[in-house]
Amino acid sequence: MDAQRAGIAVPGWRAEAAELQPLNEMFDRQGRPRPECARVIAYLLAMESRRLAELGERAHRMFQTMGVTFNVYGDHEGEERIFPFDPIPRIISAPVWAGLEAGLIQRAQALNAFVADIYGAGQIIKDQVIPRDLVIGSPQFRHAAAGIQSPCGVYITVAGIDLVRGADGRFHVLEDNVRTPSGVSYVIENRRIMTRLMPELIRGLRVSSVENYPAFLLASLRELAPRGVADPTVVLLTPGPFNSAFFEHVFLSQQMGIELVEGRDLVCLDHKLFMKTVHGLRRIDVLYRRIDDDFLDPVVFRPDSLLGVAGLTAVLRAGNATLANAIGTGVADDKGVFAYTPAMIRYYLGEEPLLPIVETYLLRDPAVRETVLRDLDRYVVKPTGASGGYGVVIGPSATDQELAQARRRIEAAPAEFIAQPVFPLSVHPTLAGAVASGEAALVARHVDLRPFVLLGEKPRVLAGGLTRVALREGSLIVNSSQGGGSKDTWVLEE
Amino acid sequence: MLRRIAGSLFWAARYLERAQWRARLVDVNYHLMLEVPPRDAEPWEPLVRITAEQELFATKHSHASEASVIDFFIFDKENPSSIRNCIESVRANLSPLRHLISSELWLAVNRLYLETQGWSAQALAAAGVSAFFADLQRHFYTIAGIIISTMPRDLTYDLIEIGTMLERPDNVSRLLDVKYHYLLPRLEDIGGPADMRQWSAVLRSASAFEAFRKVYGNAIRVNRVVEILVFDPAFPRSTRFCIDRLALALKRISSREEEPASEDPPCGELLAMLHAGSADQTIAEGLHEFLIGVEAGCARLADHVFDRYMSLE
Repeated sequence: MDAQRAGIAVPGWRAEAAELQPLNEMFDRQGRPRPECARVIAYLLAMESRRLAELGERAHRMFQTMGVTFNVYGDHEGEERIFPFDPIPRIISAPVWAGLEAGLIQRAQALNAFVADIYGAGQIIKDQVIPRDLVIGSPQFRHAAAGIQSPCGVYITVAGIDLVRGADGRFHVLEDNVRTPSGVSYVIENRRIMTRLMPELIRGLRVSSVENYPAFLLASLRELAPRGVADPTVVLLTPGPFNSAFFEHVFLSQQMGIELVEGRDLVCLDHKLFMKTVHGLRRIDVLYRRIDDDFLDPVVFRPDSLLGVAGLTAVLRAGNATLANAIGTGVADDKGVFAYTPAMIRYYLGEEPLLPIVETYLLRDPAVRETVLRDLDRYVVKPTGASGGYGVVIGPSATDQELAQARRRIEAAPAEFIAQPVFPLSVHPTLAGAVASGEAALVARHVDLRPFVLLGEKPRVLAGGLTRVALREGSLIVNSSQGGGSKDTWVLEE
Repeated sequence: MLRRIAGSLFWAARYLERAQWRARLVDVNYHLMLEVPPRDAEPWEPLVRITAEQELFATKHSHASEASVIDFFIFDKENPSSIRNCIESVRANLSPLRHLISSELWLAVNRLYLETQGWSAQALAAAGVSAFFADLQRHFYTIAGIIISTMPRDLTYDLIEIGTMLERPDNVSRLLDVKYHYLLPRLEDIGGPADMRQWSAVLRSASAFEAFRKVYGNAIRVNRVVEILVFDPAFPRSTRFCIDRLALALKRISSREEEPASEDPPCGELLAMLHAGSADQTIAEGLHEFLIGVEAGCARLADHVFDRYMSLE
């Protein structure tokens, strides 16, 4: 099956896309405030330069006092940092959000249907909509998931879908995160900070609340309980304090009022899952896990893992507990499979995709590869197996040496890479300046958006999501592990 | 509650108590040195003895000076019991269980932790030792007050109580033992001014000086010090007071169990020693042996608490 027949993208001469001026989300091309941003801009302009400069510092202090941190991998393992926060809010108008919300639900449902199908009948492969070897060969495909049923057909309970806004103003999907997406705690904490920094403004604008996310998540998780369990016990499984997202695990368990467990707290007996409490063993019905498949169950996956619990897969197979997200959902956010997601939406839902994706070229196809390698400096190359911005090569800003290295890697293992045209990520005014000098200025920095979609008996979407901002001038990488920060995202109600 | 979490609460409480104890030891010694310049060659050496850290200390410092002891007790990142590390341990233990403790408690602990991040010998010198410790003690008392006034009296509270009440008598026993047997070895000095100064420092280190005065007036005598620090039923740092509170906490926990424990926790012997004993008799029969007995009893209790409520095996 060739790429064109499947309706997926092949690269052409698209140099103009990269050279388009990125969209500024607050000001139009003539420099006039966009209508939905007018009040925020007026508010900021009315503020003294010194007070504006202090906003960032005040926010930083609040995060510190509250202990809102993330851990960094690498040289200083386990070191705590504050996720840099930019106090200039990002505004999304009601009609734009309504369109996004529908597109996000559509997408999450199609990805979920794909996971159910892949580990069930495999119809989409039989119908040749997606190549079998691409799916089975994905590093995220898990044989152990085959045949494990979910009570209400939900495998992807939580999806974080990364969107970027193009020069045309449309949001495009950049990638999906349907394993253990993180970042939602910052959405909620950012809002708490902003309600203290700019209370009058938030009240005046009618900003959609984000407070309800933990309740939404808990409701979705409870709906996944094995049939017949009236009052299910839900717990959150964390790898522990050294994980980069540990703060979020603490935060969510606290907000949902559920236990935060580690593998060593759990035990499987008689195909049932229990936690070890002060007063004996207690049965668990739903496990919201924030550890990767490979570490879940040493019997089935990595035998050296101490993070999971032996026998978990057998418990799930027996239907005595539900795992969220299910084992093997990563096959749906594989960067190669990504190219087929529009086809998936048409296949499972019989609908046209509401959200376009950033064109994605599979380098396993020799013709595609040849075209991309000819102009490697025009593309973004991503390894299919990594996340968090690791291993990404951005052609236009890469050195010759980096490009040569990328070329060698692609040629050695073409199936492990995809390429995308350089996408002109929108920019957003962002605070720059020093408190000491009292000088503050707003500068344009690239942003993306990660909304969160929950699937249960019905879909639920958090209003807005996590806006990540590349704090370095010109940088297109927004990941927190790569020097990115975040902004509060304000979805305005009608 | 998860058994692992029970352990975290227990250790958070122990480290908090330990940090406060060490702060008081250094503070009292420092001020004692100010008032009466010491004749001994190593006036700071007993502190390391009280905390039984001679070995670790010797690997880092050639002798116990004010600077080296203060560094070792407060700042040293390689000493697991330095105040800095104790506070970090309190925070690390509490951080994953913020849902169990009041947000006031978390904020107070986090604030103290953030302060320790700026600690250094230079910062201490700049603030002045007195101000530094006054500020530190204020943090500790704030935290203690928050625990008392914001935490429901449930399992979480009881585990904190157990950790505190096991740590505290351990520290006081070591202090008494060291003062009684190692300091001032010349018989003719007993009862002399240096001896009195040391006993009053012992009382101050246990925050017992004022309580002592209220009960016994000005005359400091060894048996009275032992009485208030070991056998007093009402003084909150006496061994008896702590073990009484510990026994009550254990009883409350076991009363909440669906299947109450088949046997009582091993407090009986310890309680009997403390309720029936007196300072005069104990000193006559050997204070050191008695204190060793108390330590062993506390260790048995700690094992019991761990096996029954915290072990994951």
